[in-house]
Amino acid sequence: MSRTDLGTRPAPRRTGGLRAGPTTRKRLTRGLLNLAGVVTLLAFAFPVYWMFATAFKPSRDILTYTPRLLPWPPTLEHFQQAVSRPHFGDFLRNSLLVTLSAVLLSLVIATLAALAVGRFDFRGRKSYLLLVLVVQMAPFEALLIPFFFMLRQLDLLNQLPALVLIYFIFTMPFTIWTLRGFVVGVPRELEEAAMVDGCTRMQAFRRVVFPLLAPGLVATSIFAFVTAWNEFLYAFVFMRDPDKFTLPVWIASFRTAFGDDWGATMAASSLFTLPVLVFFLAIHRRLASGLTAGAVKG
Amino acid sequence: MGRAPAGVDPATAPAPSHGPAPGGPRRAVGATRRLPYLLVVPSLAAFVALLGYPLYQVVRISLLKLDLGELIRRETVFVGLANYRSILTDRFFWTVALRTVLFTVVCVTLTMVIATLVALLLERLGPGLRLAVEISLVLTWAMPALTATVVWQWLFDTQFGVVNWLLTTLGVGAFEGHSWFATGLSTFAVITIIVVWQAIPFVAITLYAGLTAIPRELREAMRVDGASPWRSFWSLILPVLKPLFMVTCFLSIIWDFKVFTQVWLVRQGGPNRQTVTLSVYAYQEGIATSHFGRAAAISVTMVVLLLAALVFYIRLMLRTQEDL
Repeated sequence: MSRTDLGTRPAPRRTGGLRAGPTTRKRLTRGLLNLAGVVTLLAFAFPVYWMFATAFKPSRDILTYTPRLLPWPPTLEHFQQAVSRPHFGDFLRNSLLVTLSAVLLSLVIATLAALAVGRFDFRGRKSYLLLVLVVQMAPFEALLIPFFFMLRQLDLLNQLPALVLIYFIFTMPFTIWTLRGFVVGVPRELEEAAMVDGCTRMQAFRRVVFPLLAPGLVATSIFAFVTAWNEFLYAFVFMRDPDKFTLPVWIASFRTAFGDDWGATMAASSLFTLPVLVFFLAIHRRLASGLTAGAVKG
Repeated sequence: MGRAPAGVDPATAPAPSHGPAPGGPRRAVGATRRLPYLLVVPSLAAFVALLGYPLYQVVRISLLKLDLGELIRRETVFVGLANYRSILTDRFFWTVALRTVLFTVVCVTLTMVIATLVALLLERLGPGLRLAVEISLVLTWAMPALTATVVWQWLFDTQFGVVNWLLTTLGVGAFEGHSWFATGLSTFAVITIIVVWQAIPFVAITLYAGLTAIPRELREAMRVDGASPWRSFWSLILPVLKPLFMVTCFLSIIWDFKVFTQVWLVRQGGPNRQTVTLSVYAYQEGIATSHFGRAAAISVTMVVLLLAALVFYIRLMLRTQEDL
C-alpha cells in the first residue's frame, strides 16, 4: 500500500501528528499479530518438543526445578532403558501386527464398497451412504460391554485377533467415506475410453482407475493406521497378559510401574509418537478436507 | 448425478422376466446390475456383525441382572428396567452425567473459540511464521491422546514440572511444589487443557482452509466500504463458514463427550472419584467391578444423551446430504 493511499484515510486520533499515525499503528498491529503467532507456536509446539527434549536429556538435567531447555549433551540412555524393558519386542510386534492386519482388511473391503457407491447407481445406494456416515460417529466407548461378551463367546478375550476385528470396524467407515471421494474424483471418461479401446470393465478398473486411486489409498490407510496404532481403551480392557499388550498399554503402564522415571517414559512416548508425526505431516492436507466431508477421527 | 453408465439404470434396464435374451450383452447387463450389491455386501456384513449386533446386545444386557455370579454360571436373568431405575435414582450417576455434559460444553466452547481465533490469526501472519504455526498445529493434532496426556502430566508435575516453574517465574504466584491433582476441579482443569489443546488444531486448520476459500475481492470490498474487522467477521466470514463451524462443532461434541483415554490416564477418575465421566463410569461399573447390566444401562443412557444433544445437528446433516 502506497503512502498516498494512507493519506486519504481519516486522520489519526492521536496528537502525535501525521507521521506517527497510520504507519506506527500498522507496525504496532503487525507486532501484536506476530507476538500472538509466536505465543500460539510455542503453546502447540512446546509440549511436543518437551517430550523429545526430555527423552534425550541426561538424568540429572531432568529433575531440576529450573528447566534446562536444551538436551545437552544428548544421551540415548533413556531410549536404551525403555527398549530393554521386558517384552518390548512383543509390544512392538503386537502393535504392528494388529494395526497392519486391521488396516489391510479395512482397505480391501472399503475399496470394494467405495467403488460400488462411487461408480454405480443402485437401489439403496443413498441409504447405504447415510449408514456409513452415521456409523462413523458411533460411540465405540459405549460398546465395551457387548464386545466383552462377544469376544468371550468367540474365545477371543486376551487374543490379538480380537483387536484386529475391533480396529477394522473402527477404521472402515471412514475409509469407505474418504475412498468414495477419491473414486468419484477419477474421471469416468478415462475408464470409458479404456473400455472403448477394448478393456473389460475389470481391466479398465485395474489399469486405469486403480493407479489413479493409489494416492487416496495411501492417505486413507495412513489415517487408518494412526487410528489403530493409537487406540488405548480396547487394548487396555481386552488384553490382560503382558505378552499381549500393544504399545499404548505399555506406555500407560510405564507411569504406574516405574514411578517417576520421566526420562524413560518420554523416550518410550517419543518412539511411539515419531512414526505418527511423520505420517501426519505427510498427509495432513488431504486429511483436513476428508474429515469435513462428513468423516470422523475415530 | 449421472454416475450410472447407460443401461445400468434400473429404470431403463430391461426386466429379467421378459424371457431369454439373444446373445451375451443382456447377461453382461445382469451381472453389472448385481455387481454394486456384491461390492457392498462384505462391508454391510461387517457393520451388522461388529456394530449392529453389539448395539443390540448392549440394550439387551442393560435389561439383565448380570454380575459376576451370572457371568460365571452363564445365566440370563431378565429384570426389565431395573438397571435403569437403579442408575437414575443414584445420586452419583446424576453427578457424573451432569459433570460430563458440563465438561463437554466447556471443552467444545473453548475449542471452537480458540480455534477460530487461531484460524483468523493464521490468515494475517507472514508466510514464514504462518508455516511454523501450521506445522506446530499439525504436530499437536498428530500427537496420540495417550502420549499427549503423558507429556502434559510431566509438564504439570508437582516438583519438576515446567508449568509450576513458568507460573512462578512470571510472577503469577508461588507455585513451587504445587500439586495440580489434589482437587477435582484442578484435575479437571488439566484434563480440559489436554483435550482442548489436542482438539484445536483440527478445527483451526479446517476453518483456516475455509477462510482462504473466501474470495479476496469480497473481503476487500467490505474493507473499502468501511466495515470494521468485527463487522466483516459477523456478516461475511461467519455466514460463509457456517457449514464448517457446524461440522467441526458436531464432531467436537461427539469426541469430547465420550473421551476416555485422557480422563482415565490422568488420575483414573480421582481424586476421590471427582473426575469420573460417563465413559469412565461405564468402564468402572462394567469391566472393573463386574456389574455388566448396570454398565450397559449407563452406556445406553450415554448414547441417548449424546443423540439428544445432537438431534438438531443430525437432522441438519441429513438435509444437507441430499446430494449424496
